[in-house]
Formats: sequence, structure tokens, C-alpha cells
Amino acid sequence: MEAVESKDLVKIYSGKEKVEALRGISLSIRKGELFTLLGPNGAGKTTFQRIVSTQLLPTSGEAYVLGDNVITQPEEVRKHMAVVPQDIRTYDNFTPWEYAYYFAELHGLSKSKAKENAEEALKAVDLWNLKNRICGSLSGGERRRAIIASALSSDADIFILDEPTSGLDAVARRHTWRALTRIVNEGKTILLTTHIMEEAEMVSDRLAIINKGRVVTEGTLEDIKNLSDDKFRVIIEGDIDKLGFLGKRDGLIQYGSKNIMYLKNEDEALEIVKKALGKGLKAEAAPITLEDVFVKLVGGETDENQNF
Amino acid sequence: MKTKIFRDILIIATLKSIPDLKRNPSTIVLISVISGIPLFFMIIFSAQIGTGIIGAMVSTVGFIGLNSAIQDMTWDRYLKIREIVVAMPVHPISYAMGVALAPLIVSIPGLLLFMAIALWLGILTLQSLIWSIAILIVCWATLSSLGFFISTNLRRANVYTLSNLSNILGLLLSFLPPVYYPEEILGNFSWISIIFPTSNSASLIRIYSGSLIATTQIIIVRWVVLIITMIIFAIITIKESKWREP
Repeated sequence: MEAVESKDLVKIYSGKEKVEALRGISLSIRKGELFTLLGPNGAGKTTFQRIVSTQLLPTSGEAYVLGDNVITQPEEVRKHMAVVPQDIRTYDNFTPWEYAYYFAELHGLSKSKAKENAEEALKAVDLWNLKNRICGSLSGGERRRAIIASALSSDADIFILDEPTSGLDAVARRHTWRALTRIVNEGKTILLTTHIMEEAEMVSDRLAIINKGRVVTEGTLEDIKNLSDDKFRVIIEGDIDKLGFLGKRDGLIQYGSKNIMYLKNEDEALEIVKKALGKGLKAEAAPITLEDVFVKLVGGETDENQNF
Repeated sequence: MKTKIFRDILIIATLKSIPDLKRNPSTIVLISVISGIPLFFMIIFSAQIGTGIIGAMVSTVGFIGLNSAIQDMTWDRYLKIREIVVAMPVHPISYAMGVALAPLIVSIPGLLLFMAIALWLGILTLQSLIWSIAILIVCWATLSSLGFFISTNLRRANVYTLSNLSNILGLLLSFLPPVYYPEEILGNFSWISIIFPTSNSASLIRIYSGSLIATTQIIIVRWVVLIITMIIFAIITIKESKWREP
């Protein structure tokens, strides 16, 4: 049995303007994996998560959480999950402890278990020392971590996290990653959306890229990177005219004085770096990142059948 | 299941009241002052202070009933707490009851103050106080269900619009009908007091305190109207309440 499964999920918002948010999303998320949904703004990530977490009804299609139908058995589905919505704000008068403890109780835990879980969750997001400070006196990142702790303190099997680390600094983000990977190692499942490519690379077991309400691709990080014919990228800083031939290359991308080019093999990349260094330019070669592939897949006028 | 529903009501009521009581005690003062301001003028103009005290008790529960249902639910939606709760194993009734109960807890000190004054001035006896408490609970439940009805039907409205609406409605229901003044002033139109849950409650308390004479039939009619208003709004809200967006 899959942790989360959707079959041809369609969602059309009918208001003044008809918006097709999902156009037939079929995904399978396995138990005990951290599955990341990547996509540009408006791709349908949040809509998908809200349907799966029983907050929103689909226009058509089916979705299941641990075998329970999200449309017809929402009460059963809710027993299994904890949610962190996108852009959630905190009540200024609440403390992180109150968030973690009372929300654990609302998930049906006993007082003693709720206390135990709240402590663990607050320590996991590095908020234990601030547990009794009111959220109004905490920084934006600390407040966000208080909300994450409220989800972690539940005994949920599935965590649905919509951009949980947005607005966190690098250190806090890494604390959160550690907490997320720890709960996945305990056999729990996480459905994560993020705009932070590094985060998706660091924590995901599998990913799906969605755009305009459709799945563009899904698989492991390696599967997705392998979609690209180019395997390496070279960044050269300075006047590339000194290298002559470079300017004529297709696909050269310029950001101010920095130039990025994508290459199929390492030898070619190293050769160009060597030439650039020889001309006194700054240069480095590295394997392509998820962000490179993502931009190629969804950048500009996207098409899921786009070839690399 | 039933145990969890009641447990969740208490958890939500605690979560939404105790932090305010501990860290923002001025809320208690504010609730009491809003309802108590008319008393100041009544004392100055030598008006019926007994009616004023009863009006203050009724408007306290009326205000908080409406405000909790409209403002709290709306703020929860704005802060996205509601999204978390909807996706939790929490029954919608637990959430609504918890949200409604929380400000009642916060307003208890103010209510106790008005009740103590009423007892001290001989406006209420111990027996009429018990009736008054029952009437105030039904009044609170009626105004809460009216508030939930409004917040459910205007769920797309801006949070500030709903917040202002709840304040305007609270003021209208407290000061327009005979809540702070005796319904006898309206002469042939005194029946109007039965229509509004606030004035109906105030008049019922006056009847039990002995300052308003009414037949048993009238008392029954007043109770029936008050309870039916609550039930109608509650049923409509439960039916129309879409915790899950379509």
C-alpha cells in the first residue's frame, strides 16, 4: 500500500475566471520516503497537497492516503497526517510550547505523550530554549519553527509540509532538514514542497516536477538529472571574448560578468576551465544541479515533452 | 469518539483563552469596560441602574458570542490555523465550540463583577441569579450560532470587513433594542424586545428579578423564541459550514 496515491486528479477553480490548477495528476508516494514536489509558482503544488490533506475537494479523480479515500473517508485520512500550510502565521500570544503541546493533544495523544513529543519536537527544531517565549517576541524563522514543531509533535504517519523552510536562515534550515530526515528514518512519510533546490537535493528520496497542473517528470534525483544530456556546467567569470570560441557556443547564459555553459562530458568541461584559467579568467566546473535541470524543464514556455 | 469531541472542545477553549488571560489581562478589562460604559451615563442621568446592570451582563455575552464566532474563526482562517485544524482528527463541532467557549472564559471575571454588583444592590436574588446564568448561556449560544452563521456565509469576505461587521452587529444588538433600557419605554412596540436575542434575554432576566411583570405564557414564548433562534442558526451553520472547500 502506498502512503499517498493520486489518480488523474483534476481541480478546476470556477470563479470569475476558470483556473485549471490540476490537469490530471497521478503520483505514488511510498511509505517511509521523503517525496518532494517541485514546480514554479502556480504549478499546482499547494492545490495537490490541500486535496490530499482533505482541505479541498478535487473536481475529478481519486486520491488515497494509506488506502483511505480522501474524498469519502476524510476522518480516517486525518488520523494519519499532520500539516504545515504555506505562509502560516502564528498567534503572538502563543508560545512554541503551547503550539507543540496542545496540537499534539489535538492529534489524540495523552497528556504525558504530548509532553514527551512536544519536548522532542522543540529540540529537533532547536527551539527548546525558547519554548516559553511568546511568538510575538520571536523572529520570523523561530515562529516558523514553532509551527513545524506543532506538526512534528504529532504521532502522524504522514507529514504534508508546504514550503516549511521558506524564510528560515541557512542554519535553521539545516536544523529542520535534520529533523525531517530523522522522522523519515523512523519510517514516517513526508510530502514536501519547496522552492529551495538545495533542500530538494539534500533531503528528497524521490521528486516530482509539476508545471501548469501536470507532472513533468518524477523519480530519484539521479533519474531527474539523467534527463539532461548535459552533465557538467562551467562557470567563467570575466571577459569570455578572450576565449574566442566560447561566444559562438549555443546555450551560453550570461549573468553580468558570469557566464554559464553546459557540457556533455567532464573532459570537455575541464579543457575549457584550463583554457580560461590560462587566459587569467576565473573558472570552475561542476556536475549539473537539480536547479539546472529544473530550469530547463520548466523555464520559459514550458512543455512537458521538451527535449534536452 | 464523544470523549474526544469534548476533550478537543476543552483543549481549543484552553488554547484560545488561557494565553490571553495570562499575557493579555487587559482583554478582560476591555470586555467589561465596553459593556460597563453605559452604566456610567445611567448613573449620571439617574436612569434605572438595575436595567443597566442586566444590560451590561447581556451585552458582555452577546459581544463575545458574536466576536468569537466571527472574528476568531476569521483570524484563524487568515493565520491559516484553520487549515491545520481542518486536516486534523478534530471534529468541526469541537473546533466551533472551543472557539466560542474561549472568550466566555475570558469574560467570566467581568460577568462575575456585574453579578456581584447586582446581588449587592439587590437587583438579583440568588434564585434569580441562577435563572440569569441560564439565560446568559442561551443568549451566548444564540449569538455564537448567529456569528458562525455569518462567518460561514461570508467566508470569502476580507478579515477586516468581517471584524468590523462583528463590532457593528454587536453594538446594534446591544444598544438598539431594549437591553440597557426597559422595554416599557417602547409602549405598544415593546414586543420588539422578543425578536432580538439580546433584548429578549435582558427582559427575561428582568422578569426573574421581579422588575418586569409577565404572564407564564409570555415567559414560555420568550424562552421558546430564544432557544429556537439558537437552534435555527446552529442548524443552518452546520448544514452550510464547509470546512472543506469545494
